[in-house]
Amino acid sequence: MTMFHFFNCAILTFGPHAVYYSATPLSEYDTLGTSVKAALVYLGTALVKLVCLATFLQVSENDGFDPYQELLKALIGFIDVAGLFFALTQLTHRNISQNHKFQAVGLGWAFADSVLHRLAPLWVGARGLEFTWDYILQGLEANANLVLSISLAALGSLIWLRKNKPKTLIPIIYACAGIVATMPSITSYLRRGLEWHFPKVVGFELFTSLVMAFISWQLFSACQRPSA
Amino acid sequence: MATSKKSSELLESMYSVIALLFILVACVELCDAAAAVDVYRLIQYDMSGSPFGSRFAALNHHAASSRFPPGADLSRTVLIIPLRELNITFVREYITQKKPLGGLLFLLPEVLSFKHGGNKQVPEKEKMKKLLAELERLLVHSNIPYPVYFAFENDEIDTVLADIKKNDAMGQPATATTGGYKLVIPTAEPKKVASPTITNIQGWLSGLKADGDANQLPTIAIVASYDTFGAAPALSVGSDSNGSGIVALLEIARLFSLLYSNPKTRGRYNLLFGLTSGGPYNYNGTQKWLRSFDQRLRESIDYAICLNSIGSWDNELWIHVSKPPENAYIKQIFEGFSNVAEELDLKVGLKHKKINISNPRVAWEHEQFSRLRVTAATLSELSVAPELFEGTGGLFDGRQYVNETAIIRGVKLIAESLARHIYGHQGKNVQLFADESSLAVNPAYIRSWLDLLSQTPRVAPFLSKNDPFVMALKKELADHADEVNVQHENLEGIFTFYDSTSARLNIHQVASVTFDLLLLLVLGSYLIVLFCFLVITTRGVDELISLFRRPPSRKVKTA
Repeated sequence: MTMFHFFNCAILTFGPHAVYYSATPLSEYDTLGTSVKAALVYLGTALVKLVCLATFLQVSENDGFDPYQELLKALIGFIDVAGLFFALTQLTHRNISQNHKFQAVGLGWAFADSVLHRLAPLWVGARGLEFTWDYILQGLEANANLVLSISLAALGSLIWLRKNKPKTLIPIIYACAGIVATMPSITSYLRRGLEWHFPKVVGFELFTSLVMAFISWQLFSACQRPSA
Repeated sequence: MATSKKSSELLESMYSVIALLFILVACVELCDAAAAVDVYRLIQYDMSGSPFGSRFAALNHHAASSRFPPGADLSRTVLIIPLRELNITFVREYITQKKPLGGLLFLLPEVLSFKHGGNKQVPEKEKMKKLLAELERLLVHSNIPYPVYFAFENDEIDTVLADIKKNDAMGQPATATTGGYKLVIPTAEPKKVASPTITNIQGWLSGLKADGDANQLPTIAIVASYDTFGAAPALSVGSDSNGSGIVALLEIARLFSLLYSNPKTRGRYNLLFGLTSGGPYNYNGTQKWLRSFDQRLRESIDYAICLNSIGSWDNELWIHVSKPPENAYIKQIFEGFSNVAEELDLKVGLKHKKINISNPRVAWEHEQFSRLRVTAATLSELSVAPELFEGTGGLFDGRQYVNETAIIRGVKLIAESLARHIYGHQGKNVQLFADESSLAVNPAYIRSWLDLLSQTPRVAPFLSKNDPFVMALKKELADHADEVNVQHENLEGIFTFYDSTSARLNIHQVASVTFDLLLLLVLGSYLIVLFCFLVITTRGVDELISLFRRPPSRKVKTA
């Protein structure tokens, strides 16, 4: 519904990323380079995923939930995790504390995801005369995605970058990382298999992202105590 | 120097890519309407300089139903009125008192559509026919300064209309600030149709000339006008007026061509078949066609039978004449028809209407013949002469209002009467075109042509010279007649027509501006809260407070 609506949905989708960057100490330590590099890694990962999906996946006629196809998609989704691993460990960052590194990487990752997946539909659709709730829901989904990406980056940095972890927490860390990594498959199952409506799915995503963020924050601070 | 040249080239290519991207981005405008419907515009024409019909085509206004709150300003609103809720007095009041309105959209029941309606029966036929006739009469003779469109009801439009009625009932007519539905028809300004042509098609079937007979054989003419005129020119199929006449003419041509193909059964009369155009406009085409005749040919015409609406009668047909009934020729024709009618168990009546030469109005086609001193009569189911632009194929004149059996009986009547006159069987009870004979009237032929005609709108200004339908009529007549001629003329100057007869309507569901303002407020506060939350959790409350405190002034330091 005209440029005004487009502007509203755009700030809902991309505003939190900018706010996160400026509000937290990330802006003080000038970690923009890290975020940009993480965004480029996301782009590369997305291309690789596209090629794999095109090669291995069959297009089904009905929009139902096919377990075999979904399993394949989940496996390809782990390429995401590999990309994140690459961004966290292999890229040579300047000397930033681990605390800030994972935040910067997660932020860049989420921003690239939002831009690639949501900017085009927003530009094409939200500017028309027709009004739908879809774009506002998409913006909320982008917010949930931001939180999830940061939690995944946190758990990832715990797994790969921190050497001394309390033994008891390791399985929990891996379990949480697994859940967050398979979130896309879970949401697609909800949408196709259980046939939830879009608002319900977005609500579920927001809820789980907050829960996972809380858990990973607790885990991170728990792991931080021995070295502190 | 080389490097700067290279970099400038690179920059230029970059600019072209960026420009292309911008163009691509600006051009992507997908159809995102809640519903898209085919709509048909009210006719727009000038008669002797006076404007009639709907004078605009483009539409971009909010929609309202007939239950709008009284006293609301409707100058930027389109009223959607389905036919079953139509209140003619209300519409008449709006039009005659020239009240401001953004537009009118009439919804016709789907059964009347020749594309989707099929052959389903129309409920309450007579009532609908009367209502549509009245509406058409009102719209065609008024000058309406806003767009008027017709559309057929379907599920999408019904849901939209129900929604609009609900909104109106709550007292919230749609405007820019309260949301609702917007109707958009993006068409250009309607333009005049340049030099509209009317095409007359004539077929000639030669009679048997005996050796040594120097005189011209007498001719009998059978004429029907094939074009229509209605409130919505894209919907004017005129199945009864005059599709029935055309079908009857073609069938009679077919039967007589069978008879005339064998020299032993060829009659001593020539037969002239005429499919004329320009019927609604005082039979302008017929006049021009007759004027183009050779004087000898005109004098050789014994009589002419014009066919006008013979598709929906039960038991009575009328023969309309302009010469007094005492005239010998008229008596002969009428007696011939009555005798055959008696045998076929139907009635034929005679109606006499004098011609007024000073009055330009020509209500029947035979009047054009009579003005040139040719004996003629019109066979029709109508007992009264129609007014200007009435009975010329309007909104209700579709396939459902025509009866094939009526046309078949009419063809039998005319064919037998003609045959008795040609072969001199007056008074004898001989049936040439009996059922089950090789000369029987073919119902399948009649049905297939009637179906075709009921799907072809035929308003003359919108039929080009080489219109495929006109070519089809010519080809069909050429199959039956010895010689076919096509005559192109210009429609007489007092009529001017405008194009843009159909369009596509997009119905958008829009949200109000206040909604977006509220949304902006909510989002702004959400982002501010998020900012404060993050600052507090990562840097501490002091940082947040320090953001709002001014930095300590230099004076303190130096002091």
